[in-house]
Order: sequence, then C-alpha cells, then structure tokens
Amino acid sequence: MLTKIITAYNEAVFDTDRDQALEIIHQAVAEGITPEDIVFKVVIPAMELMIKSISEDFDANLAQHFMASQIASQVTDEMVAKFQTSPHVVGTVILGTSHGDMHTLGKRIVSGCLRSLMIEVVDLGVNIPAEQFVEAALTHNASVIAISSMMMHTARSELGCLKVREILKNKNLEDKIKIVVGGAPYRWDPHLYQAVQADAWAEDGITAGKVIKELIMEMQK
Amino acid sequence: MMTGMDRIVAALNGEKSDRIPVFCNLLDQGAKELGIATLQEYYSKGEYVAQAQLKMREKYGYDNLWSLFYVGKEAELLGCKKIIYATDGPPNVEHFVISTYDDIAKLEIPTDLINHPAFAQERICLEILSREAKGKYPICAYLTASMTLPALLMGMDKWFDLLFFGPTDVRDELLRKCSAFFHQEVAAYRQAGADIILYANPFGSTDFIPMKQFNQLSMPWMKKDLQPGGVADVVYYCGSSRMNNVIKPVVEQLAIQTFYLSPNDDVAIGKQNVAGQGLTWGVINDILLIDWTEQEVRAEVKRIIEAGMAGGKFGFGTLVMPYKIPEQNIRAMLDAAYEFGRYA
Repeated sequence: MLTKIITAYNEAVFDTDRDQALEIIHQAVAEGITPEDIVFKVVIPAMELMIKSISEDFDANLAQHFMASQIASQVTDEMVAKFQTSPHVVGTVILGTSHGDMHTLGKRIVSGCLRSLMIEVVDLGVNIPAEQFVEAALTHNASVIAISSMMMHTARSELGCLKVREILKNKNLEDKIKIVVGGAPYRWDPHLYQAVQADAWAEDGITAGKVIKELIMEMQK
Repeated sequence: MMTGMDRIVAALNGEKSDRIPVFCNLLDQGAKELGIATLQEYYSKGEYVAQAQLKMREKYGYDNLWSLFYVGKEAELLGCKKIIYATDGPPNVEHFVISTYDDIAKLEIPTDLINHPAFAQERICLEILSREAKGKYPICAYLTASMTLPALLMGMDKWFDLLFFGPTDVRDELLRKCSAFFHQEVAAYRQAGADIILYANPFGSTDFIPMKQFNQLSMPWMKKDLQPGGVADVVYYCGSSRMNNVIKPVVEQLAIQTFYLSPNDDVAIGKQNVAGQGLTWGVINDILLIDWTEQEVRAEVKRIIEAGMAGGKFGFGTLVMPYKIPEQNIRAMLDAAYEFGRYA
C-alpha cells in the first residue's frame, strides 16, 4: 500500500500538481497511516526515489524540483506537528546565498528538500558575509555550511566561499564544519567547487539534499 | 569589405559570405576597456556603453553591438530603486518592485517608454550606435519575455510561488502588465535603432517548466508578446536553458526564424529542428573560458562549428561572457571561430 502511495504521490509531484499530492497524503492519513509513517515511509522514500531518478539522468525541470521540495517540506511540517514524540533531527545546516548574490530560488529548493529529510535548516537569507556563515554554524552547532550562488562572480568572489574557507582554516574548524556549494555556475563548470575550496557541490537543489545528508552522516561517524 | 550585417543577412538567406557570423557578448568588460574605475560609473552613461561597445567590436572584429547595459535595467524602468554593483560581474537587482500581491495591482506600465527618464541613457547609447554603425553591425537589444520578467520584479522564488500556487487572476494580471511592458519596450528599442531583439525567456524552455505548462502558459504569452510587432528581427533565447525540444512548436506557432541555442543543446539536432527555416546559433559554454587553455578553447569552438556549419544558416555565439575570462582566451575563441567558420 505504501509503495502505491509513494508512486501516486511522486506522479503528482512530477506533474507539478500540489493539490493532488496533498490529497494523496491526506487520504493516506484518513485511511489510518500515522504521521510518522507518512514522513518516514512516504515522504523521505519518495524524496530519495526522486534523488535517485535525477542522478540517473531523469530529466526533471526546475519547476518539478521546486514543487517536489515545497510539497515535501509542507507535508513534513504538517505531519511533524502531529507526531507522538519529537522527531530525531539528522543534523543542522546553515544556508544562504553568497556575498553579493540576491537569488533565492535554489536556496529555497535546497531548504525544502533538507527539511523533508529531517535536517534542520538555518536559512540566513541572501547576500551573506562569510563571517556570518561561520558564526551561525558555531551558534547552531551545524556541521555543514551550504552556499548558493547564481552568478559566476559571486561564486568565485574572494568574499564568498573562499573567505568562508579561510575563516574555517584560521579558526581550526575545517574538521568540524564542511562547505557545500551549488547554483548555476557550478553546473556549467563541475570543477568550480574545487577552485572555490568547497568540500562538495550539488548539481541541483534536490541532489543537494543527498550530498548534504551524506556529509552530515559521514561526519557523525 | 564584408560587415557583420552582410554576414547576418547572408546567413539568414542561406548564402555564403566570407565566414559565419560571430556574436561575442562583452558587456561589463567595457568599463575596463575605457579605463573607468567602477561598473556603477560605467553604466551611468549611455555614451560610455556605446563607446566601449564600438571599441571592443573594433578591437576583436566580431559582428554585433549591444545596447544592453545589464538585465536589471528593465526592473529600473518599472520602479526598481536599488541595484547592487560588483567589481567583477553584472549588476544585480536588490530592490524588488513587487513584495506583495497588492503591489501587482499598483504596478504601472509606462506608456511613453522612449521618453521615460530611466530609458534616457539607453536611448543615448542607441543613438550613438546607430550613428556610428547602423547598417554595418547589427545593434542588439535584450528584452525579457512576459513570463520571465516577474522574476526581475519579485524574485524568482516568489514568482514560482505565484505561478504554481497563487491565485490565477493575480498571476494573469501580472503577466498582462509584463506583456504590455514588452510591447512598449520592443517599440521603443525598434524606434531607437535596434536591429535584433533578443527575446529572453527561460520559461520558454522545458528545463524550467514541464511541456504541459510550456504549451498552456508560455506559448500563449509568447504569442501575446510577439504578435503585435512581428518576429522578423526576433531571436529566440532561453538564457542558458535548452530549447531543442521546443524549436518545432516555436517555428510553427510563432514563426520565429532565429534560435540562439543553449551550450547544452546538441547543435546538430538544433539545426535539424530549425530545418532550414531559419538561422541557428551554436553557443559556447563561456564560463569554462575562464580556466581553459587556449588549446581547449580552440577545440571546443571547432567542435561547435563543425556540428552546425554545413549547409549554412549558422552562426557562432557566446552567452554573457564572465568578466574574469582572460583576454587571450577571448582572442583564442574568436580567432578559432573566424578560422573554422570561414567558407572555402
């Protein structure tokens, strides 16, 4: 039954039909599936299936990525509020766009995806100075800083990821906090993440969920 | 002597000139070329932009001129009050004109754009370019489609919210206003001397939206944008997004004849889709020009031109060349394009 729900839910998401996706979830709840099972046995597996499809060259478009992340995070929020006990949070991520960058869409897709994977997201917003990323990571005990850039010059800027790396190095935090980057310039140059000294990159907002989750799990070992 | 306009006209007609037309989209580099310290100062005067465009075209020998300052200019024409400037990249919209749905009702579309104060510097730029180069080198204008303009006015994620989750009457009101603005803008640019209208619309690509929404939303709004003024000078451009699987419906339903592919489009397939009915541009991933060796640049230019040049009706072009590309790589790219794009 859960497999059938996952399939129907994902079909609705890929058809960018939020109403249909929500109806499938609400119907499942009405039929007795617990909120915990909705999150852990429907939303998370559905998101993971989506990540797998995208990594295997399923040609999803930006609207589908947006819809998938927004619906998943909306369902997760709704269900978590009904949990019997507080859920276990996988880890915490600090998220923002790089210095000088005002583009919000990619960051929002990443945030929705991460929240549906039970990763806490501290969204600092846009045009974030490097120092603020690091301070927030220390304040919230986050193991990952995720920096989104939509423009080449904001990705490569000395005030962006490179500066975050420099601060982490100077404060001996490189073992405790990893940097993940993403956004259009990285898609056009897959080696760019190395040039800006990030630890990892993700090709799209949904894949970022996988990359960040794996990084958090690895650091927790 | 053969001019850029000669090459474009020949390519459009399926005739051979000395070589294929080559477009190189240098914008922010103009400040460095004129020795102007900041991009803010450079973009404050139409004279600067026009002078730099003429100077860079002369220096490198490519075939086009730009009247575009930066993309956020369109938002300024609609009330944007703050642009964020960088030292090494394009200016970025900081103030969004629309922050609530009520702002959409209040949004006013200028009715006499050519005389609008926010258009004054572009008009000066176009006047100089027309005076110096009209008929010799095509003057390009960059206009954002009604489906994409809301992203400049409210931010892309808020536009996605409205587009997919918001009230359709509010969405349609915004699209109507953006389309009305496009009509004003295209008329003003044509009147001021633009020869080529680059119709910028990432929402005209299925990299952005599913085919169903392309057919139900993008196509009808593109028709509304383009039908009043015609499409003879219009170039279909989806930013860096792919267009190969929409070329056929665009040719059939909009009659657009020129397609500026994404670097991620297969050039040969793009040309096949245009099917001799127009001009196809093979476009290089110019972000990689920052770090590539001259040999790598040359090899990639060769690959693109070889994929599209046979049978003519083909040009070579760039996206918006990042500021950090070293000059020797700009030269390497253009030299290769002139060499491999030469008709025997």
